[in-house]
Amino acid sequence: MAIISFEHVGKRYGGRFEAVADLNFSIERGEMVFLTGHSGAGKSSVLKLLTCLERPSRGKVVVGGRDLNTLRNSQIPFYRRQIGVVFQDHQLLFDRTVFDNVALPLLIQGIPPQDAARRVRAALDKVGLLYREKALPIELSGGEQQRVGIARAVVNKPALLLADEPTGNLDPQLSADIMRLFEDFNRIGTTVLLASHDLALIARLRHRILRLRQGRLIADEEGA
Amino acid sequence: MTQSDKNSAGKSAAQQKSASQPTVAGQKRKRGANTSKLSLDARYESWLRHHRQVAVDSAERLIRHPVASILTMLAIAIALVLPAMLWLGLGSVRALDYDLDSSARVTVYMESGASAKQVSELADEIRNEQSVGSVKVITADEGLHEFQQALGVNDATSLLDANPLPATLLVTPKEREPGAVDALSRQLGELNGVDEARVDLEWLERLHDIGVLGQRLTLGLAVLFGLGVLLVVGNTIRLAVENRRKEIEVVTLIGATHAFVRRPFLYSGAWYGLGGGVLAVALLTLGRGWLSSPISALAQSYGSDYVMPALGFSGSLLLLICSILLGLLGAWIAVGRHLADIRAR
Ligand SMILES: Nc1ncnc2c1ncn2[C@@H]1O[C@H](COP(=O)(O)OP(=O)(O)OP(=O)(O)O)[C@@H](O)[C@H]1O
Ligand SMILES: [Mg+2]
Repeated sequence: MAIISFEHVGKRYGGRFEAVADLNFSIERGEMVFLTGHSGAGKSSVLKLLTCLERPSRGKVVVGGRDLNTLRNSQIPFYRRQIGVVFQDHQLLFDRTVFDNVALPLLIQGIPPQDAARRVRAALDKVGLLYREKALPIELSGGEQQRVGIARAVVNKPALLLADEPTGNLDPQLSADIMRLFEDFNRIGTTVLLASHDLALIARLRHRILRLRQGRLIADEEGA
Repeated sequence: MTQSDKNSAGKSAAQQKSASQPTVAGQKRKRGANTSKLSLDARYESWLRHHRQVAVDSAERLIRHPVASILTMLAIAIALVLPAMLWLGLGSVRALDYDLDSSARVTVYMESGASAKQVSELADEIRNEQSVGSVKVITADEGLHEFQQALGVNDATSLLDANPLPATLLVTPKEREPGAVDALSRQLGELNGVDEARVDLEWLERLHDIGVLGQRLTLGLAVLFGLGVLLVVGNTIRLAVENRRKEIEVVTLIGATHAFVRRPFLYSGAWYGLGGGVLAVALLTLGRGWLSSPISALAQSYGSDYVMPALGFSGSLLLLICSILLGLLGAWIAVGRHLADIRAR
Protein backbone atom coordinates (compact mmCIF):
# COMPACT_ATOMS: atom_id res chain seq x y z
CA MET A 1 0.00 0.00 0.00
CA ALA A 2 1.19 3.48 -0.81
CA ILE A 3 2.46 5.56 2.09
CA ILE A 4 1.32 8.78 0.38
CA SER A 5 -1.48 9.22 -2.07
CA PHE A 6 -3.02 12.39 -3.47
CA GLU A 7 -6.48 11.91 -4.94
CA HIS A 8 -7.87 14.82 -6.98
CA VAL A 9 -6.34 17.27 -4.57
CA GLY A 10 -6.95 20.97 -5.11
CA LYS A 11 -5.82 23.83 -2.94
CA ARG A 12 -6.76 27.44 -3.27
CA TYR A 13 -5.58 30.11 -0.87
CA GLY A 14 -8.63 32.28 -1.16
CA GLY A 15 -9.59 33.68 -4.53
CA ARG A 16 -10.15 31.71 -7.73
CA PHE A 17 -6.58 30.72 -8.40
CA GLU A 18 -5.60 27.15 -7.53
CA ALA A 19 -2.07 26.71 -6.16
CA VAL A 20 -2.60 22.96 -6.50
CA ALA A 21 -5.10 21.69 -9.05
CA ASP A 22 -6.43 18.16 -9.37
CA LEU A 23 -3.24 16.50 -8.23
CA ASN A 24 -3.03 12.69 -8.40
CA PHE A 25 -0.02 10.62 -7.47
CA SER A 26 1.10 8.07 -4.98
CA ILE A 27 4.39 7.16 -3.37
CA GLU A 28 5.23 3.66 -2.16
CA ARG A 29 6.99 2.86 1.06
CA GLY A 30 10.76 3.04 0.78
CA GLU A 31 10.76 5.27 -2.32
CA MET A 32 12.86 8.38 -2.73
CA VAL A 33 11.05 11.00 -4.80
CA PHE A 34 11.88 14.51 -5.95
CA LEU A 35 9.21 17.12 -6.36
CA THR A 36 10.25 19.83 -8.77
CA GLY A 37 8.94 22.74 -10.78
CA HIS A 38 9.38 26.45 -11.18
CA SER A 39 8.90 28.88 -8.39
CA GLY A 40 5.21 29.05 -7.53
CA ALA A 41 4.49 25.65 -9.08
CA GLY A 42 3.08 24.40 -5.78
CA LYS A 43 5.93 22.33 -4.30
CA SER A 44 5.72 23.86 -0.84
CA SER A 45 1.95 23.64 -0.99
CA VAL A 46 2.16 19.89 -1.49
CA LEU A 47 4.43 19.57 1.55
CA LYS A 48 2.16 21.83 3.62
CA LEU A 49 -0.77 19.60 2.77
CA LEU A 50 1.28 16.60 3.91
CA THR A 51 2.16 18.22 7.24
CA CYS A 52 -1.38 19.49 7.82
CA LEU A 53 -0.20 23.09 7.74
CA GLU A 54 -2.88 23.51 5.10
CA ARG A 55 -6.03 21.56 4.40
CA PRO A 56 -6.98 20.65 0.81
CA SER A 57 -9.83 22.62 -0.74
CA ARG A 58 -10.94 19.43 -2.45
CA GLY A 59 -9.87 15.83 -2.89
CA LYS A 60 -8.01 13.92 -0.25
CA VAL A 61 -4.49 13.33 0.94
CA VAL A 62 -3.93 9.89 2.42
CA VAL A 63 -0.82 9.18 4.47
CA GLY A 64 -0.15 5.74 5.95
CA GLY A 65 -3.71 4.73 5.13
CA ARG A 66 -5.19 7.67 6.95
CA ASP A 67 -7.19 10.35 5.15
CA LEU A 68 -5.78 13.59 6.55
CA ASN A 69 -9.19 15.24 6.18
CA THR A 70 -10.39 13.01 8.99
CA LEU A 71 -7.70 14.20 11.41
CA ARG A 72 -9.09 16.36 14.16
CA ASN A 73 -7.06 19.43 15.11
CA SER A 74 -6.13 17.82 18.40
CA GLN A 75 -4.68 14.82 16.54
CA ILE A 76 -2.46 16.84 14.24
CA PRO A 77 0.46 17.13 16.72
CA PHE A 78 0.51 13.34 17.12
CA TYR A 79 0.40 12.91 13.37
CA ARG A 80 3.28 15.34 12.87
CA ARG A 81 5.44 13.45 15.35
CA GLN A 82 5.48 10.53 12.95
CA ILE A 83 6.95 12.40 10.00
CA GLY A 84 10.32 14.10 9.84
CA VAL A 85 10.42 17.51 8.19
CA VAL A 86 13.48 19.41 6.97
CA PHE A 87 12.96 23.08 6.16
CA GLN A 88 14.75 25.27 3.68
CA ASP A 89 15.72 27.72 6.41
CA HIS A 90 16.25 24.77 8.78
CA GLN A 91 14.18 26.45 11.56
CA LEU A 92 16.72 25.92 14.33
CA LEU A 93 16.42 27.70 17.66
CA PHE A 94 19.43 29.93 18.02
CA ASP A 95 19.35 30.19 21.80
CA ARG A 96 19.83 26.43 22.21
CA THR A 97 22.75 24.16 21.58
CA VAL A 98 22.88 21.78 18.68
CA PHE A 99 22.14 18.95 21.09
CA ASP A 100 19.04 20.67 22.49
CA ASN A 101 17.78 21.51 19.02
CA VAL A 102 17.98 17.89 17.93
CA ALA A 103 16.43 16.77 21.23
CA LEU A 104 13.40 19.03 20.78
CA PRO A 105 11.07 16.46 19.14
CA LEU A 106 11.92 13.99 21.90
CA LEU A 107 11.30 16.60 24.58
CA ILE A 108 7.90 17.29 23.05
CA GLN A 109 7.08 13.61 23.20
CA GLY A 110 8.29 13.26 26.77
CA ILE A 111 11.02 10.72 26.08
CA PRO A 112 13.11 10.13 29.24
CA PRO A 113 16.34 12.17 29.16
CA GLN A 114 18.85 9.28 29.09
CA ASP A 115 16.96 7.62 26.28
CA ALA A 116 16.70 10.94 24.44
CA ALA A 117 20.41 11.67 24.82
CA ARG A 118 21.30 8.33 23.28
CA ARG A 119 19.06 8.95 20.29
CA VAL A 120 20.22 12.54 19.82
CA ARG A 121 23.84 11.40 19.71
CA ALA A 122 22.97 8.65 17.26
CA ALA A 123 21.25 11.18 14.97
CA LEU A 124 24.10 13.68 15.25
CA ASP A 125 26.57 10.93 14.53
CA LYS A 126 24.70 10.05 11.32
CA VAL A 127 25.02 13.59 10.01
CA GLY A 128 28.64 13.77 11.18
CA LEU A 129 28.17 16.51 13.75
CA LEU A 130 28.51 14.63 17.02
CA TYR A 131 31.60 16.63 17.87
CA ARG A 132 29.61 19.90 17.66
CA GLU A 133 26.81 18.91 20.02
CA LYS A 134 27.61 21.68 22.50
CA ALA A 135 27.89 24.40 19.87
CA LEU A 136 25.21 27.00 19.23
CA PRO A 137 23.71 26.95 15.70
CA ILE A 138 25.11 30.42 15.05
CA GLU A 139 28.63 28.99 15.34
CA LEU A 140 27.99 26.55 12.49
CA SER A 141 28.25 26.96 8.73
CA GLY A 142 25.09 26.91 6.58
CA GLY A 143 25.69 23.30 5.56
CA GLU A 144 26.24 22.26 9.15
CA GLN A 145 23.09 24.02 10.25
CA GLN A 146 21.17 22.19 7.57
CA ARG A 147 22.61 18.91 8.80
CA VAL A 148 21.48 19.73 12.34
CA GLY A 149 18.00 20.31 10.89
CA ILE A 150 18.17 16.90 9.25
CA ALA A 151 19.33 15.26 12.49
CA ARG A 152 16.32 16.81 14.22
CA ALA A 153 14.01 15.46 11.52
CA VAL A 154 15.31 11.90 11.81
CA VAL A 155 15.92 11.71 15.57
CA ASN A 156 12.50 10.15 15.98
CA LYS A 157 13.17 7.53 13.26
CA PRO A 158 10.21 8.58 11.14
CA ALA A 159 8.96 6.29 8.38
CA LEU A 160 8.48 9.35 6.19
CA LEU A 161 10.92 12.19 5.68
CA LEU A 162 9.84 15.41 3.93
CA ALA A 163 12.20 18.19 2.90
CA ASP A 164 11.46 21.57 1.32
CA GLU A 165 14.47 22.96 -0.60
CA PRO A 166 16.94 21.44 1.86
CA THR A 167 19.84 22.60 -0.30
CA GLY A 168 18.41 26.01 -1.12
CA ASN A 169 21.31 28.18 0.05
CA LEU A 170 24.14 25.71 -0.25
CA ASP A 171 26.96 25.48 -2.78
CA PRO A 172 26.93 22.46 -5.15
CA GLN A 173 29.46 20.47 -3.13
CA LEU A 174 27.50 20.87 0.11
CA SER A 175 24.24 20.21 -1.71
CA ALA A 176 25.59 16.92 -2.98
CA ASP A 177 26.67 15.99 0.55
CA ILE A 178 23.22 16.74 1.92
CA MET A 179 21.58 14.70 -0.84
CA ARG A 180 23.84 11.79 -0.06
CA LEU A 181 22.63 12.00 3.53
CA PHE A 182 19.01 11.71 2.39
CA GLU A 183 19.96 8.75 0.22
CA ASP A 184 21.51 7.09 3.27
CA PHE A 185 18.26 7.41 5.19
CA ASN A 186 16.35 6.14 2.19
CA ARG A 187 18.64 3.11 1.99
CA ILE A 188 17.61 2.01 5.50
CA GLY A 189 13.94 2.09 4.55
CA THR A 190 12.81 5.67 5.11
CA THR A 191 10.49 7.07 2.46
CA VAL A 192 11.86 10.44 1.33
CA LEU A 193 9.99 13.21 -0.50
CA LEU A 194 12.17 16.15 -1.42
CA ALA A 195 11.11 19.43 -3.01
CA SER A 196 13.83 21.13 -5.00
CA HIS A 197 14.32 23.25 -8.09
CA ASP A 198 17.98 22.33 -8.43
CA LEU A 199 17.35 20.41 -11.67
CA ALA A 200 20.97 19.59 -12.39
CA LEU A 201 21.48 17.98 -9.01
CA ILE A 202 18.21 16.05 -9.21
CA ALA A 203 18.96 14.75 -12.66
CA ARG A 204 22.28 13.32 -11.49
CA LEU A 205 20.73 11.41 -8.66
CA ARG A 206 18.40 9.24 -10.75
CA HIS A 207 15.41 8.96 -8.46
CA ARG A 208 11.78 9.29 -9.35
CA ILE A 209 10.83 12.88 -10.22
CA LEU A 210 7.40 14.51 -10.01
CA ARG A 211 7.26 17.70 -12.09
CA LEU A 212 4.70 20.35 -11.25
CA ARG A 213 3.58 23.30 -13.32
CA GLN A 214 0.98 25.71 -12.03
CA GLY A 215 -0.20 23.21 -9.49
CA ARG A 216 -0.58 20.33 -11.94
CA LEU A 217 1.50 17.23 -12.36
CA ILE A 218 3.07 17.45 -15.82
CA ALA A 219 5.50 14.54 -15.59
CA ASP A 220 6.17 11.54 -13.39
CA GLU A 221 9.58 10.16 -14.33
CA GLU A 222 10.70 6.85 -12.91
CA GLY A 223 14.24 6.79 -11.56
CA ALA A 224 16.92 4.67 -13.05
CA MET B 1 13.24 -1.49 38.06
CA THR B 2 15.33 0.59 35.76
CA GLN B 3 14.00 3.09 33.31
CA SER B 4 14.51 0.87 30.28
CA ASP B 5 12.83 -2.12 31.96
CA LYS B 6 9.79 -0.02 32.57
CA ASN B 7 9.69 1.05 28.98
CA SER B 8 9.84 -2.44 27.58
CA ALA B 9 7.21 -3.61 30.06
CA GLY B 10 4.92 -0.87 28.85
CA LYS B 11 5.35 -1.63 25.19
CA SER B 12 2.41 -3.95 24.64
CA ALA B 13 0.06 -1.45 26.22
CA ALA B 14 1.63 1.30 24.17
CA GLN B 15 1.10 -0.64 20.97
CA GLN B 16 -2.57 -1.08 21.71
CA LYS B 17 -2.82 2.60 22.30
CA SER B 18 -1.08 3.38 19.03
CA ALA B 19 -3.93 1.75 17.13
CA SER B 20 -6.23 4.60 18.03
CA GLN B 21 -3.82 7.26 16.84
CA PRO B 22 -2.97 8.15 13.28
CA THR B 23 0.02 6.12 12.21
CA VAL B 24 2.33 6.67 9.31
CA ALA B 25 4.49 3.71 10.24
CA GLY B 26 1.74 1.27 9.32
CA GLN B 27 1.90 -2.49 9.78
CA LYS B 28 5.27 -3.16 8.23
CA ARG B 29 7.29 -0.97 10.55
CA LYS B 30 6.68 -1.50 14.22
CA ARG B 31 9.96 0.22 14.96
CA GLY B 32 8.45 3.66 14.73
CA ALA B 33 5.62 2.72 17.05
CA ASN B 34 7.96 1.31 19.66
CA THR B 35 10.16 4.31 19.82
CA SER B 36 7.55 7.03 19.81
CA LYS B 37 4.95 5.57 22.16
CA LEU B 38 5.36 5.33 25.90
CA SER B 39 3.58 3.42 28.62
CA LEU B 40 1.13 5.30 30.78
CA ASP B 41 3.50 5.32 33.74
CA ALA B 42 6.32 6.72 31.68
CA ARG B 43 3.96 9.26 30.18
CA TYR B 44 2.95 10.49 33.60
CA GLU B 45 6.57 10.60 34.68
CA SER B 46 7.59 12.59 31.63
CA TRP B 47 4.63 14.89 32.08
CA LEU B 48 5.74 15.62 35.65
CA ARG B 49 9.33 16.02 34.51
CA HIS B 50 8.30 18.53 31.89
CA HIS B 51 6.25 20.49 34.40
CA ARG B 52 9.22 20.67 36.75
CA GLN B 53 11.53 21.72 33.94
CA VAL B 54 9.17 24.36 32.67
CA ALA B 55 8.45 25.71 36.15
CA VAL B 56 12.17 26.14 36.82
CA ASP B 57 12.89 27.44 33.34
CA SER B 58 10.17 30.09 33.42
CA ALA B 59 11.29 31.20 36.89
CA GLU B 60 14.83 31.54 35.54
CA ARG B 61 13.57 33.61 32.64
CA LEU B 62 11.98 36.03 35.12
CA ILE B 63 15.15 36.18 37.18
CA ARG B 64 17.19 36.92 34.07
CA HIS B 65 15.30 40.21 33.75
CA PRO B 66 14.94 41.17 37.40
CA VAL B 67 13.93 44.81 36.95
CA ALA B 68 11.23 44.14 34.39
CA SER B 69 9.90 41.24 36.45
CA ILE B 70 9.80 43.22 39.68
CA LEU B 71 8.04 46.11 37.95
CA THR B 72 5.36 43.77 36.62
CA MET B 73 4.94 42.20 40.04
CA LEU B 74 4.76 45.61 41.66
CA ALA B 75 2.03 46.68 39.25
CA ILE B 76 0.10 43.54 40.19
CA ALA B 77 0.71 44.17 43.89
CA ILE B 78 -0.57 47.73 43.72
CA ALA B 79 -3.68 46.58 41.89
CA LEU B 80 -4.29 44.05 44.65
CA VAL B 81 -3.64 46.31 47.65
CA LEU B 82 -6.65 48.60 47.27
CA PRO B 83 -9.40 45.99 47.10
CA ALA B 84 -7.65 44.03 49.86
CA MET B 85 -7.69 47.12 52.06
CA LEU B 86 -11.38 47.70 51.42
CA TRP B 87 -12.05 44.08 52.16
CA LEU B 88 -10.25 44.41 55.49
CA GLY B 89 -12.21 47.59 56.18
CA LEU B 90 -15.42 45.72 55.52
CA GLY B 91 -14.23 43.12 58.01
CA SER B 92 -13.87 45.76 60.68
CA VAL B 93 -17.36 47.04 59.88
CA ARG B 94 -18.50 43.51 60.46
CA ALA B 95 -16.82 43.68 63.86
CA LEU B 96 -19.43 46.34 64.63
CA ASP B 97 -22.08 43.74 63.90
CA TYR B 98 -23.14 43.94 67.48
CA ASP B 99 -24.56 47.38 66.72
CA LEU B 100 -26.40 46.02 63.74
CA ASP B 101 -27.78 43.18 65.84
CA SER B 102 -29.08 45.43 68.55
CA SER B 103 -30.68 47.86 66.14
CA ALA B 104 -32.41 45.03 64.31
CA ARG B 105 -33.86 43.92 67.62
CA VAL B 106 -37.61 44.14 68.12
CA THR B 107 -38.63 45.32 71.57
CA VAL B 108 -41.93 43.76 72.65
CA TYR B 109 -43.72 45.52 75.51
CA MET B 110 -46.10 43.29 77.43
CA GLU B 111 -49.34 44.64 78.78
CA SER B 112 -48.66 45.77 82.33
CA GLY B 113 -49.78 43.38 84.99
CA ALA B 114 -48.85 40.28 83.04
CA SER B 115 -47.75 37.52 85.36
CA ALA B 116 -44.28 35.98 85.20
CA LYS B 117 -45.86 32.77 83.88
CA GLN B 118 -47.65 34.59 81.07
CA VAL B 119 -44.41 36.35 80.13
CA SER B 120 -42.38 33.17 79.91
CA GLU B 121 -45.13 31.39 77.97
CA LEU B 122 -45.25 34.20 75.44
CA ALA B 123 -41.44 34.17 75.20
CA ASP B 124 -41.55 30.45 74.41
CA GLU B 125 -44.22 31.01 71.81
CA ILE B 126 -42.13 33.69 70.11
CA ARG B 127 -39.02 31.53 70.25
CA ASN B 128 -40.85 28.94 68.18
CA GLU B 129 -41.36 31.41 65.35
CA GLN B 130 -39.34 30.56 62.26
CA SER B 131 -37.90 34.00 61.73
CA VAL B 132 -36.83 34.49 65.33
CA GLY B 133 -33.23 33.98 66.34
CA SER B 134 -33.31 34.54 70.09
CA VAL B 135 -35.52 36.05 72.76
CA LYS B 136 -34.33 37.75 75.90
CA VAL B 137 -36.79 38.34 78.73
CA ILE B 138 -36.54 41.45 80.88
CA THR B 139 -39.06 41.20 83.71
CA ALA B 140 -40.68 44.29 85.14
CA ASP B 141 -38.35 44.14 88.14
CA GLU B 142 -35.23 43.85 86.04
CA GLY B 143 -36.46 46.70 83.89
CA LEU B 144 -36.94 48.88 86.90
CA HIS B 145 -33.51 47.98 88.20
CA GLU B 146 -31.89 48.98 84.90
CA PHE B 147 -33.93 52.17 84.87
CA GLN B 148 -32.79 53.09 88.37
CA GLN B 149 -29.18 52.41 87.49
CA ALA B 150 -29.47 54.54 84.42
CA LEU B 151 -30.93 57.40 86.47
CA GLY B 152 -28.47 56.91 89.28
CA VAL B 153 -31.27 56.64 91.84
CA ASN B 154 -31.29 53.90 94.41
CA ASP B 155 -34.91 53.47 95.16
CA ALA B 156 -37.27 55.02 92.72
CA THR B 157 -40.14 52.80 93.85
CA SER B 158 -40.24 54.69 97.04
CA LEU B 159 -41.61 57.56 95.00
CA LEU B 160 -44.14 55.37 93.26
CA ASP B 161 -46.89 53.12 94.45
CA ALA B 162 -46.03 50.24 92.18
CA ASN B 163 -43.61 49.31 89.37
CA PRO B 164 -44.96 51.19 86.32
CA LEU B 165 -42.78 49.34 83.82
CA PRO B 166 -44.10 46.45 81.73
CA ALA B 167 -42.13 43.29 81.18
CA THR B 168 -40.26 43.44 77.89
CA LEU B 169 -39.01 40.82 75.45
CA LEU B 170 -35.97 41.58 73.28
CA VAL B 171 -36.48 39.60 70.08
CA THR B 172 -33.52 39.22 67.73
CA PRO B 173 -34.63 38.17 64.27
CA LYS B 174 -32.65 35.73 62.16
CA GLU B 175 -32.70 38.03 59.13
CA ARG B 176 -31.65 41.64 59.48
CA GLU B 177 -33.21 42.67 56.21
CA PRO B 178 -35.38 45.73 57.11
CA GLY B 179 -38.56 44.50 55.36
CA ALA B 180 -38.43 41.17 57.17
CA VAL B 181 -37.76 42.82 60.52
CA ASP B 182 -40.68 45.19 59.98
CA ALA B 183 -43.01 42.29 59.16
CA LEU B 184 -41.86 40.42 62.27
CA SER B 185 -42.43 43.47 64.39
CA ARG B 186 -46.01 43.85 63.12
CA GLN B 187 -46.69 40.18 63.67
CA LEU B 188 -45.42 40.34 67.24
CA GLY B 189 -47.52 43.44 67.94
CA GLU B 190 -50.67 41.44 67.12
CA LEU B 191 -49.97 38.73 69.70
CA ASN B 192 -52.22 38.34 72.73
CA GLY B 193 -50.88 39.99 75.85
CA VAL B 194 -48.60 42.29 73.86
CA ASP B 195 -49.06 45.96 74.22
CA GLU B 196 -46.70 47.12 71.52
CA ALA B 197 -43.75 45.93 69.43
CA ARG B 198 -41.16 48.45 68.31
CA VAL B 199 -38.14 48.57 66.08
CA ASP B 200 -35.99 51.46 64.92
CA LEU B 201 -36.53 50.82 61.23
CA GLU B 202 -34.99 54.00 59.94
CA TRP B 203 -31.67 53.36 61.61
CA LEU B 204 -31.78 49.75 60.60
CA GLU B 205 -32.39 50.68 57.00
CA ARG B 206 -29.55 53.10 57.05
CA LEU B 207 -27.12 50.56 58.47
CA HIS B 208 -28.32 48.01 55.99
CA ASP B 209 -27.77 50.37 53.08
CA ILE B 210 -24.29 51.25 54.29
CA GLY B 211 -23.46 47.56 54.52
CA VAL B 212 -24.73 46.86 51.00
CA LEU B 213 -22.90 49.88 49.65
CA GLY B 214 -19.64 48.78 51.26
CA GLN B 215 -19.98 45.29 49.86
CA ARG B 216 -20.77 46.47 46.36
CA LEU B 217 -17.98 49.00 46.43
CA THR B 218 -15.50 46.34 47.47
CA LEU B 219 -16.79 43.88 44.93
CA GLY B 220 -16.80 46.46 42.15
CA LEU B 221 -13.28 47.57 42.92
CA ALA B 222 -12.09 43.99 43.30
CA VAL B 223 -13.47 43.16 39.85
CA LEU B 224 -12.00 46.32 38.34
CA PHE B 225 -8.57 45.83 39.84
CA GLY B 226 -8.69 42.10 39.15
CA LEU B 227 -9.17 43.09 35.52
CA GLY B 228 -6.18 45.38 35.95
CA VAL B 229 -4.08 42.42 37.08
CA LEU B 230 -5.28 40.42 34.08
CA LEU B 231 -4.25 43.23 31.77
CA VAL B 232 -0.81 43.62 33.35
CA VAL B 233 -0.09 39.88 33.19
CA GLY B 234 -1.71 39.54 29.78
CA ASN B 235 0.39 42.28 28.30
CA THR B 236 3.60 40.94 29.79
CA ILE B 237 2.86 37.44 28.55
CA ARG B 238 1.90 38.80 25.14
CA LEU B 239 5.39 40.26 24.84
CA ALA B 240 6.94 37.01 26.01
CA VAL B 241 4.96 35.09 23.40
CA GLU B 242 6.05 37.56 20.75
CA ASN B 243 9.69 37.08 21.79
CA ARG B 244 9.36 33.34 21.51
CA ARG B 245 7.24 33.30 18.37
CA LYS B 246 9.88 31.51 16.38
CA GLU B 247 10.22 28.81 19.01
CA ILE B 248 6.44 28.36 19.11
CA GLU B 249 6.28 27.98 15.35
CA VAL B 250 9.07 25.44 15.33
CA VAL B 251 7.73 23.25 18.12
CA THR B 252 4.25 23.38 16.60
CA LEU B 253 5.70 22.20 13.29
CA ILE B 254 7.35 19.23 14.92
CA GLY B 255 4.33 18.05 16.84
CA ALA B 256 3.94 20.06 20.05
CA THR B 257 0.42 20.09 21.47
CA HIS B 258 -1.27 23.32 22.52
CA ALA B 259 -0.78 22.33 26.13
CA PHE B 260 2.95 22.01 25.55
CA VAL B 261 3.19 25.42 23.94
CA ARG B 262 1.02 27.06 26.55
CA ARG B 263 2.74 25.55 29.56
CA PRO B 264 5.80 27.82 29.96
CA PHE B 265 3.63 30.93 29.65
CA LEU B 266 1.13 29.67 32.20
CA TYR B 267 4.01 29.11 34.60
CA SER B 268 5.31 32.62 33.94
CA GLY B 269 1.83 33.99 34.65
CA ALA B 270 1.64 32.01 37.87
CA TRP B 271 5.08 33.24 38.94
CA TYR B 272 4.11 36.85 38.24
CA GLY B 273 0.92 36.29 40.24
CA LEU B 274 2.81 34.76 43.13
CA GLY B 275 5.39 37.55 43.14
CA GLY B 276 2.69 40.22 42.94
CA GLY B 277 0.74 38.53 45.73
CA VAL B 278 3.77 38.34 48.00
CA LEU B 279 4.53 42.02 47.36
CA ALA B 280 0.89 42.92 48.07
CA VAL B 281 0.99 41.07 51.40
CA ALA B 282 4.25 42.83 52.23
CA LEU B 283 2.79 46.23 51.32
CA LEU B 284 -0.33 45.62 53.40
CA THR B 285 1.71 44.45 56.39
CA LEU B 286 4.08 47.41 56.15
CA GLY B 287 1.17 49.82 55.71
CA ARG B 288 -0.58 48.41 58.73
CA GLY B 289 2.56 48.74 60.85
CA TRP B 290 2.91 52.32 59.70
CA LEU B 291 -0.71 53.35 60.33
CA SER B 292 -1.82 51.25 63.25
CA SER B 293 -0.31 53.24 66.12
CA PRO B 294 -1.70 56.66 65.09
CA ILE B 295 -5.07 55.07 64.35
CA SER B 296 -5.39 53.30 67.68
CA ALA B 297 -4.26 56.49 69.44
CA LEU B 298 -7.00 58.35 67.61
CA ALA B 299 -9.57 55.67 68.43
CA GLN B 300 -8.55 55.71 72.06
CA SER B 301 -9.15 59.44 72.28
CA TYR B 302 -12.73 58.68 71.27
CA GLY B 303 -12.91 55.99 73.93
CA SER B 304 -12.86 53.14 71.43
CA ASP B 305 -10.53 50.18 71.55
CA TYR B 306 -10.56 49.87 67.77
CA VAL B 307 -7.62 47.93 66.36
CA MET B 308 -6.69 48.04 62.70
CA PRO B 309 -7.62 44.78 61.07
CA ALA B 310 -4.72 42.57 59.96
CA LEU B 311 -4.61 40.27 56.94
CA GLY B 312 -3.64 37.26 59.04
CA PHE B 313 -2.51 33.91 57.72
CA SER B 314 -5.72 32.88 55.97
CA GLY B 315 -6.18 36.35 54.49
CA SER B 316 -2.64 36.31 53.10
CA LEU B 317 -3.18 32.83 51.71
CA LEU B 318 -6.43 33.88 50.05
CA LEU B 319 -4.75 36.93 48.53
CA LEU B 320 -1.89 34.80 47.19
CA ILE B 321 -4.26 32.23 45.71
CA CYS B 322 -6.32 34.95 44.05
CA SER B 323 -3.27 36.63 42.56
CA ILE B 324 -1.82 33.33 41.29
CA LEU B 325 -5.14 32.46 39.69
CA LEU B 326 -5.36 35.91 38.12
CA GLY B 327 -1.82 35.49 36.78
CA LEU B 328 -2.69 32.10 35.30
CA LEU B 329 -5.89 33.41 33.77
CA GLY B 330 -4.17 36.46 32.29
CA ALA B 331 -1.49 34.25 30.75
CA TRP B 332 -4.07 31.78 29.46
CA ILE B 333 -6.00 34.48 27.68
CA ALA B 334 -2.90 36.13 26.22
CA VAL B 335 -1.43 32.85 24.94
CA GLY B 336 -4.75 31.64 23.60
CA ARG B 337 -5.29 34.77 21.57
CA HIS B 338 -1.74 34.74 20.33
CA LEU B 339 -1.67 31.08 19.39
CA ALA B 340 -4.67 31.54 17.15
CA ASP B 341 -2.85 34.47 15.63
CA ILE B 342 0.36 32.55 14.97
CA ARG B 343 -1.39 29.59 13.41
CA ALA B 344 -3.29 31.89 11.12
CA ARG B 345 -0.10 32.97 9.38
N1 LIG C 1 -0.29 31.24 2.34
C1 LIG C 1 -0.55 31.55 1.04
N2 LIG C 1 -1.50 32.48 0.74
C2 LIG C 1 -1.78 32.78 -0.53
N3 LIG C 1 -1.16 32.26 -1.59
C3 LIG C 1 -0.21 31.35 -1.38
C4 LIG C 1 0.15 30.95 -0.04
N4 LIG C 1 1.13 30.03 -0.13
C5 LIG C 1 1.37 29.87 -1.44
N5 LIG C 1 0.59 30.64 -2.19
C6 LIG C 1 0.56 30.70 -3.65
O1 LIG C 1 0.43 29.40 -4.13
C7 LIG C 1 1.28 29.19 -5.25
C8 LIG C 1 2.19 28.00 -5.00
O2 LIG C 1 3.08 28.33 -3.95
P1 LIG C 1 4.16 27.33 -3.37
O3 LIG C 1 4.79 27.98 -2.20
O4 LIG C 1 3.53 26.03 -3.16
O5 LIG C 1 5.19 27.25 -4.59
P2 LIG C 1 6.63 26.59 -4.64
O6 LIG C 1 6.59 25.64 -5.76
O7 LIG C 1 7.01 26.08 -3.30
O8 LIG C 1 7.52 27.84 -5.02
P3 LIG C 1 9.04 28.17 -4.57
O9 LIG C 1 9.92 27.35 -5.42
O10 LIG C 1 9.18 29.63 -4.90
O11 LIG C 1 9.17 27.87 -3.13
C9 LIG C 1 2.04 30.48 -5.47
O12 LIG C 1 1.44 31.16 -6.53
C10 LIG C 1 1.86 31.23 -4.19
O13 LIG C 1 1.76 32.61 -4.46
MG1 LIG D 1 8.50 26.60 -1.86
